[in-house]
Amino acid sequence: MEKFPLKSSSIPLNAATTYQTMNKKYSNGSGLSSVTSDDSDMIDITTSTAAGDRNTTTRSQDDDDGNLQYSVGFSNMLESGDIPGIGQYDDFHTIDWQRDIARDRMRHRYIVKKKQDSIWTLLAGAHDAWSGWLCVLLVGLLTGAVAGVIDIGATWMTDLKFGICPQAFWLNKEHCCWSPSEADLDSGNCSQWKTWSEILGHSSEGAGAYIISYLFYIVWALLFAALSASLVRMFAPYACGSGIPEIKTILSGFIIRGYLGKWTLIIKCVGLILSVSAGLSLGKEGPMVHIACAIGNILSYLFPKYGRNEAKKREILSAAAAAGVSVAFGAPIGGVLFSLEEVSYYFPLKTLWRSFFCALIAAFILRSINPFGNEHSVLFFVEYNKPWIFFELIPFIALGIIGGVIATIFIKANLYWCRYRKYSKLGQYPVTEVLVVTVITAVFAYPNPYTRMNTSQLIYLLFSQCGISNSDDLCNYNRNFTDVNSIEIAAAGDGVYRAVWLLILALGFKLIMTIFTFGMKVPCGLFIPSLCLGAIVGRLVGIFVEQLAYRYQKNWIFSGECSTGDDCITPGLYAMVGAAAVLGGVTRMTVSLVVIMFELTGGVRYIVPLMAAAMASKWVGDALGRQGIYDAHIALNGYPFLDSKDEFAHTSLAADVMQPKRNETLSVITQDSMTLDDIEQLLKETEHNGYPIVVSRESQYLVGFVLRRDLNLAIANEKRMVDGICGQSLVLFTSGHTIQALGPPPLKLKRILDMAPITITDQTPMETIVDMFRKLGLRQTLVTHNGRLLGVITKKDVLRHVKQMDNEDPNSVLFN
Amino acid sequence: MWSPIFNTVFLACFVLIVVQGQAYENTRCICGCPSIALLTDSTDVTLNTHNFHIANVPPNKCNCDGVIIPKLGDKIKGRENEFCPRCECKYEHRNVTIIKVVVIIVIWVISILVIYMAFLIILDPLLNKRAKGNYQEHTNEEDETAAGVGGPMSHNMSVRGNVLNRVGHQQDKWKRQVKEQRRNIYDRHTMLN
Repeated sequence: MEKFPLKSSSIPLNAATTYQTMNKKYSNGSGLSSVTSDDSDMIDITTSTAAGDRNTTTRSQDDDDGNLQYSVGFSNMLESGDIPGIGQYDDFHTIDWQRDIARDRMRHRYIVKKKQDSIWTLLAGAHDAWSGWLCVLLVGLLTGAVAGVIDIGATWMTDLKFGICPQAFWLNKEHCCWSPSEADLDSGNCSQWKTWSEILGHSSEGAGAYIISYLFYIVWALLFAALSASLVRMFAPYACGSGIPEIKTILSGFIIRGYLGKWTLIIKCVGLILSVSAGLSLGKEGPMVHIACAIGNILSYLFPKYGRNEAKKREILSAAAAAGVSVAFGAPIGGVLFSLEEVSYYFPLKTLWRSFFCALIAAFILRSINPFGNEHSVLFFVEYNKPWIFFELIPFIALGIIGGVIATIFIKANLYWCRYRKYSKLGQYPVTEVLVVTVITAVFAYPNPYTRMNTSQLIYLLFSQCGISNSDDLCNYNRNFTDVNSIEIAAAGDGVYRAVWLLILALGFKLIMTIFTFGMKVPCGLFIPSLCLGAIVGRLVGIFVEQLAYRYQKNWIFSGECSTGDDCITPGLYAMVGAAAVLGGVTRMTVSLVVIMFELTGGVRYIVPLMAAAMASKWVGDALGRQGIYDAHIALNGYPFLDSKDEFAHTSLAADVMQPKRNETLSVITQDSMTLDDIEQLLKETEHNGYPIVVSRESQYLVGFVLRRDLNLAIANEKRMVDGICGQSLVLFTSGHTIQALGPPPLKLKRILDMAPITITDQTPMETIVDMFRKLGLRQTLVTHNGRLLGVITKKDVLRHVKQMDNEDPNSVLFN
Repeated sequence: MWSPIFNTVFLACFVLIVVQGQAYENTRCICGCPSIALLTDSTDVTLNTHNFHIANVPPNKCNCDGVIIPKLGDKIKGRENEFCPRCECKYEHRNVTIIKVVVIIVIWVISILVIYMAFLIILDPLLNKRAKGNYQEHTNEEDETAAGVGGPMSHNMSVRGNVLNRVGHQQDKWKRQVKEQRRNIYDRHTMLN
């Protein structure tokens, strides 16, 4: 993770330019000139190096409209108001971090300067200063509230599959039986809650009731899944999937219009409730990140500083991603670290603090909504305070290895299936696929009590300790509670063996179903299923070690701690470690995962076991398969994501990568000799997203760079604004007064010109270039040779080159 | 276009809350204890159940003395000191009103979306067929704005029409976007596989 990819940006930007306040005289040109000015309050930042040695041409220029442009060349938001859409990007384009950051700096300068003018501008400046914090505050508030709605809605709807609370239909089973009568307590079930067979007039026991409940379970599951899939298909196709690969890509500087929009938000929330309730093997935690980012994106439009600047918007989105994980697991710090480790690309300290604040607010709101009635934001919160013995590190590391293996199997199989879906006929039947998977899931899940219940409940059951109040089969030990202070170690009863077999079945079932479920066209997350897989494995290992300790209490390994007859091995802790191992293997998170897990358990005592398991799982995972699931899906979809974790280890040069290749010509625009017709012809014939501006075709000396989109917008704007523009009009990218004797008026387009494009020479090694793209967040760089323009390298060229070097299909990078 | 819908939703929720009143408790104290049979060493089947005790007491009374003793005092007489430490008491809190409002909102939103979906699938093609001439005009306008790439220009365009036109215009724009998304995902499989 590169922490400050843009930090150094000010140096290359400023070095070659004279950087001034608004509406002042300035100097430009080759960038090596000084300014003669009679303005007293002008701040001069002339380039110091070499300025004196050269024969500097001192030019002082007046702009006709008195509204000067910077040599940085980006038209500032305030003055480019007359050209709508400048500074925005088209769909599926890469953003230019440098340009956006520079634009924001200009805007900021303008506000600072205007501050003294009046009270109003002072207030405007203050508002600008705190708008970032205000925005993340609102994001946190809304994310917490939305997460509460999803949690409550999903638990209620999940229980709807089993029955209903006739007196208060909005309560789920647990809340319906909140305060049962004495008679209910004695019989052990609750009379307020009616199963569907009871509603239909049957008894609650017996084969008939079982079949009716079974059928109702399947029908409800089908209904929910069908609704979810068709809502997604009808209103917001972007709402499907987990969203984290796409969020990663977006945060790395890519535009997917509508991916974080209003409809996606609504449909993702509703679809998530429905698909979780359908009992599919998926979770709602991963999509929370997408939901939070959508909220962040929508709210950032309230603040033009963020809404209109894609680079600045990503600061809000990073904070929102942290809030998403914060509400998903009730782990604010884990959320911040998740944002830092897994999703964010550009993460300065300022964003770290804002993420922290945003995650805090979101967690606080969710906690006060208290959706599960357990004073925590997750259902499977457990509190542990039992010591672990040193010997247990061996089974913990073993769990890490098992977790890595399971994760690799899962990733490989899921990718194979997703690729099959992509290229075969299966992809044409998205809704049918969801329905088939739902039916299979429901039919096989119902008979096994561990898969019938909600996955979060299962995780809670596996995590929790066998206390007095736990009456599940898993806790059927032959113990008698004679010793008051602690639970003694005891032989497993029949119930435990039964539970072990059921859990093994559940493990296989969940693994297979999750492979087929993840990637279906419904909102679906991966955290819960992988936690569940790991928890099952962990619990099984835990029971095994526990029984080992019981059988061989006198053995030297156990003799220290277990000899007193205490329950020295806690299977629930193994479940937790196993869950961390599988999740770590699937996502390749380490730090954030451990923090999330210990925030879940409310204790720091188990950090070492969790770290050991996470690390072992990551090593095994990395050894068996290179990518985590999110990176694998990014590669499958061909998103232009330049991973800052990978290293570029080849020896190619810029000349090998740049466009155009040999015997092709480079499309350039000259600064003052092309007519409008020439330009429009060029725009029609080529599809490049930007054109270098040169002094003349013969010399190919570089002047700057102009984006296709800006050029289109500016030409359309000039045509509208200036009379007499015709095909013969000259298009000028210079700012001096041209002697316009005859002919139609020229188009002055200097303000859309980027006069500080990043340039490299053709002998620059690719390693450096890849680093520049990552750290500076470039969109393209210009290649020169002997000072003359030679070609262009875009981010997608770099990505394609990396793929080619790794012997993969370079054309799999989409959105070229 | 959404505000009237949401108004009705909130109004409906409000009415329901007022009518239904508060029927369920918001707090409880739940204690789990081993069965008394273990303690008394008797084989009395009636005592051999797993015991949960639920009472509505203030948080500071949520312990064995406050919940279990008043209920089972006579059965465990004299052995409280043995029995009580094995009980686990937990004070729990919830808010029924929030649950009710949230669930009703969820139901409303889902129903509205389903109705709108049904409308778009069944009725919209019929309506569009009738208003074909009108539709032609729309597409022209769309092309123009598409060339101008969004922004304030489309605003100027849409301000001209009356409210209904504007809503229809927005809806068309949105439908086009969704169609594009659908093509990306379901037909070309370029995204979100």
